[in-house]
Parts: sequence; structure tokens; C-alpha cells
Amino acid sequence: MIALDCGNDFATWREQARTLLSHNIDPCDVVWAQGLMHDLLALPTPLPTGRGSFRARIPAALLGQLEQAGRYRGDQRWSLLYEVLWRVAHGDRTAMLAGDRLGSELQRRIKQVSREAHHLHAFVRFVPLPPQLAEHLQLDLVAFHEPAHDILHSASEHFAERLGRQRWLIATPEDGIRYDGNALDYRKQCPEQWQQWAQQADDPDGELWPTYYRHTFNPARVNPGALAQHMPGRFWRHLPEGALIGQLVGQAQRGKQRDGQAAEVASQGGKRIVPRGQSGPL
Amino acid sequence: MQLIAKLGILADAAKYDASCASSGAPKRSSKGRDGLGATNGMGICHSYTPDGRCVSLLKVLLTNFCLYDCQYCVNRRTSNVPRARFTPEEVVRLTLDFYRRNCISGLFLSSGIIRSADYTMEQLIRVARLLREEHEFRGYIHLKTIPDADPLLIEEAGRLADRLSVNIELPTDESLQLLAPEKKASTIRLAMGTIHQGQLAVAGERNAPRFTPAGQSTQLIVGADSTDDHTILGNAQALYQGYALKRVYYSAFSPIPDSPSSVPLAAPPLLREHRLYQADFLMRGYGYSAGELLREAGNLALDIDPKLAWALANREVFPLDVNRAEPALLARIPGIGLRSVQRLVALRRERRIRYDDLVQLRCVLDKARPFIVTSDYRPPEAEVRSGLLRARLREPQAPQQMGLWA
Ligand code: SF4
Repeated sequence: MIALDCGNDFATWREQARTLLSHNIDPCDVVWAQGLMHDLLALPTPLPTGRGSFRARIPAALLGQLEQAGRYRGDQRWSLLYEVLWRVAHGDRTAMLAGDRLGSELQRRIKQVSREAHHLHAFVRFVPLPPQLAEHLQLDLVAFHEPAHDILHSASEHFAERLGRQRWLIATPEDGIRYDGNALDYRKQCPEQWQQWAQQADDPDGELWPTYYRHTFNPARVNPGALAQHMPGRFWRHLPEGALIGQLVGQAQRGKQRDGQAAEVASQGGKRIVPRGQSGPL
Repeated sequence: MQLIAKLGILADAAKYDASCASSGAPKRSSKGRDGLGATNGMGICHSYTPDGRCVSLLKVLLTNFCLYDCQYCVNRRTSNVPRARFTPEEVVRLTLDFYRRNCISGLFLSSGIIRSADYTMEQLIRVARLLREEHEFRGYIHLKTIPDADPLLIEEAGRLADRLSVNIELPTDESLQLLAPEKKASTIRLAMGTIHQGQLAVAGERNAPRFTPAGQSTQLIVGADSTDDHTILGNAQALYQGYALKRVYYSAFSPIPDSPSSVPLAAPPLLREHRLYQADFLMRGYGYSAGELLREAGNLALDIDPKLAWALANREVFPLDVNRAEPALLARIPGIGLRSVQRLVALRRERRIRYDDLVQLRCVLDKARPFIVTSDYRPPEAEVRSGLLRARLREPQAPQQMGLWA
């Protein structure tokens, strides 16, 4: 059994996989793990040195798909990719197609990864730093986010496109990324200071957004299942509106009101309008 | 009045508009430039409210003062609701603040009618102009069009916004007369025509200034009057064809506070709305016509989806051989979506399709089974013809919102 560690880095894995494939090494005889091998029965054999003689033709699209699937955090993260590569290299293209069992799993991972990138684009919430602090740190916006897969590096360019010359950073429990208005600075290990800035930012204008959220909700249509399906609960705690969800659902379901208006508006005095030229009530 | 109090009132007043899409805009980027905002054609839902709807844009009214008296509308002049008015600068400030926070991808601005249609339209345009020109905002802008406004103003709005919409709300002249006496079907269609003409004028001209690149849309209210789905879908089809509309939105009528007796005070017909969206999607994405989906007057079935309804009504077409049928026909099999069709076509170039492949593709086999043939499966003849099939495939009707309306 060959035991490898690629440090969860795709370029490293690709080199290892190339070598393995050129020696035509069967996926059953290789395992990727991080740090120490736990399976004591597996006596590690070293990776062969140099390139072997097996030359495989790989469709151009596959490499991109493997790279994307490699961002998935989960069991058999790298072994699965090697199995796909090995089967396709031996002429079985179904291994990369949904429909085949292995291909379906590959495609499922790709989908999860792109979904998670989409979650990043959707659910990151920046907090603007006050002008003095922004000047001092050379940083305008900070955010803390917890992605389930390794998408921060590949998916963050998006924010440079949206935010122009603004300087921002996104910290996660694992990695972090910072933009100075010109270039991205990605850290595989998020500096502790970044995490602190992102989690402890003061937000004097922070009430505007939750106010909007409360009022754009239509209690006559309450449907918490649909919300949870699109916006998984694991994101709620970093969303400023997250704490409101339970409260709003509760109020709507207790049936205090049967129309779409928020209680705060209903409790204010109303005003009927009399068009010019008309007098008295309509 | 404080900004936050206005925001509460004017967001509350705007929520009955279903649209919140930010998709379809051309590629724009602010990378390395002054200003703010990007679009890339894909919309982003930045949040979901507990009603399950996507929050993509800041959706507010400039003001909920209104001279009109549309019976279904919370902002009608005789409605006893608190009123507020934003200055254009306030809307700009909110849009930019929420955008920087990544809470939204743009603005959807609408307004009650104050002073005159032209004046109101000018105010909406002013907000868009401030955003685009003074703040170099490249995010998404959707403006509601006031139908009676001068066509020149509508054209100006079309050059600033990604999307314009004119809401029809009620699809028949009689209903409009009854429930929205100041509105006219003819002016609504004229405004749609102005927008469509603006789009045609720049179509195919590469250097022409953009005009509503994300298209125009409209909304129909469902359940405020007695109009049936047959009329609604027929209208939608005519709008897609006649004005090249991007989207028709269907909004189940939500009871409004201080409800006049002319409109129902009942739970919004959410399931009916859902079936209309499904039928609409089948018209836009799958090539069904309105007449195929609903042959005669009446409403769509609530207990089965419209695609299944069509298959049950056209049994002679089935079962279809998944290994042979044209892609357009494959897409008519209940439980098999467009994406699965693509994947099946890719897979069958490599080898024959088996039943298990459909399982792996996560097709809804409970629905598909009676309608398909694979290399190792064929439905029993009796099943395909059975009148019991419909009863077996019905969706359990979960009573919606019993807590509220029981
Ligand atoms: S014109 Fe009619 S629908 Fe529009 S805000 Fe006024 S009352 Fe409401």
C-alpha cells in the first residue's frame, strides 16, 4: 500500500497522481491521508521515483473537474479522484459522467463545491470599519465566514469585482483572504489578528439591514421549510438577520395577524390621502 | 422621520411585488476602478425570508403616498396605513450601504403615484441617475415603470436600468375597471410596447447604448378577482410572444390590512401560484404552449404538477424509450428535468441506459416509471393505461398554513 499526503493541495496531488499513473498503479494500492497513517496494517510503500512508461490520454475537461472536486472536504477526498483518473485513463469515460456510480459521486462533489462558492458570494456579510480604523488598518470591510469546502481562494475574486477599490478581508476558521485594492493575499492559515478584526468589528449602522429584512418578509406566506432549504442553518449565526428568523416564524405562526403587514407598521397611525381638488373623506 | 423608520414603512409597502431577480444583466466589473458593483448574468440570493422568498435586491418604494385607489393595494389612497417618503439621496445611501455589506446585488425601486405620472417617473429616474453617474454604481437596477408616464421618460429609464417592469396585476379589462379604476389595460400595453421598441432599437447594434439588458417583466395577481388560470396563462403566453417579456411573475393575493370588501380576506392561494410558476416554466423552458397545459377554461390541477397532467392526458405518447427518444420528448417525461436530459444524452453516447442510471441521476422515478422504457425495464402495459395512475401519483395535499387560517 502506498500512503501519500498531498497537504490538501491540488498541484501536489496532481504530481503524485501523474507518477502513480505512469507506473500504472491500481487505485486499490494507494491511499491519501493527512499526517500519520492510522491504518497500522497498511505497510507504507514509497511512491516510485521518476516517470513510468504508461502513457494515458486524458480529456482536457477532466483536469478541471478533478481540481474542482478536489476542493470538497470529505472522505476519500483524493483517492476518489485518482480512481476516476485511473478509469478514464484506461478508456472508461463513464467514470466522469453522472449516471455511473463513481461519476455521480464526482459530479455530486463538483456540485457541492460550486454550491459552496455560491454560498460564499451570497452569505458573506461585510462590516464597514469606522474611517479612522480603516485608515489605520488600510482596510474598509471585514467579514467572517465558515465555508464547508475549500473554496475561499478560488471564489473570492468575485468580491474584487464587486467592491472596486475597497479594501477587504474574509477570515474563516481555516484560511483567510485579504484584498488591498490591487491584489489578493491568500493565507492557508488565517492570521489570528484577521480573525479578531473580523469577529469583533463594531457596527453602529448595523440595525438598518435587519429592519429591512423584517419588513420585506410577508407573514401571510410563512414557509420556514423553504428558507432552510435555500439558506442552511449553519450560516445563520454569522448573518445579522439570522437571529430574527426564529422570532419572525414564531410570530407569524401564532397567527397574530392574517395579512402581510409587519406588526410594527400596523401599530403606527395611518393616513388616508385626499387628492387635490377634492374635499372631505372619499 | 428617521431613515430607519422610513425603511420599515417603505419596505413593508413594497413586499407585495414578487420579483426580486438580479439575473440577466451584462457582465460589468468594478475591479481596480472607482465606484462599486458588478453583474455577471447570474443572480445572487443574498438571503431568504421566512416566507421562503429570495432576497436579492433592496426592494422599496420611493414613497407609499399614492393618488390612485387600486383595491388590492395596501398603498391605495383610501388605505389607512402610515405613509413615508424617501429622498432620492436616502435610497442611494441605503443601496450603497447594503451593497458594500454584500446584503444585496442591487435595487428594485417602485413608487406610489404622487403629483403626476411624469413627476413620479422623474423621481425614480433621478435615483438611478445618481447611482449610475455620481456613484458609478455597476450593480443591478430594476425600476418600476409608471404606465402613464411620457414615453421619453420610459426610454430614459431604460438606458439606466437593467430591467424595467410594468405590472398588469389584473389580466382582464373588467377586473381592472372594477378594482383599479384609474388604470387602463391600453396604457399598460403601450408602456410595455415603448420598452419593447427601445429593446428592438438597440438589438444587434454592438455599439448602441444598453437598453434594459435584463429585459422587462410584469406581475399578475392571482386570487384577487375571479380570473382563471386559463386566462392567466393565455395572457402570459401572449406577453412572452408580443413583447418578448423576460418573466411574468404570479403573486398570490395576500390579504391586506384595512381590506376593502371588494377583495378577498383569505389565505393567499400559494399552491395555485406554485402551479402557475411550474406551467410558466414549462412554457419558457420546455416548449409547451398554454393551450397544451390547459385545454379549456378553468384552473390547473392542484393535486398533480402540470407536466404530469400533460403526460396523463397524452398517454399515447408514452412509454418513451430513453435510449432513443429525441431530447425534446425526453424532457416531457414526468420526473425527468432538463439537466437530466442533457446527462442522459451524454451517457447514451457511451453506452445503453439502464434503469439504475436514472436512479443515479436522481430522477423522480415514482413519477417517471410508468412513462419510460430502458434497456432493462418496461412498464407493465396495464399500468400505462390505468385510470388509477393519477390517483397513485397525486401529491398529498398538505394543508398550507393551517396555523393561520384554520
Ligand atoms: S398605483 Fe395602485 S398599485 Fe400602484 S401604489 Fe398606487 S394604489 Fe398601489
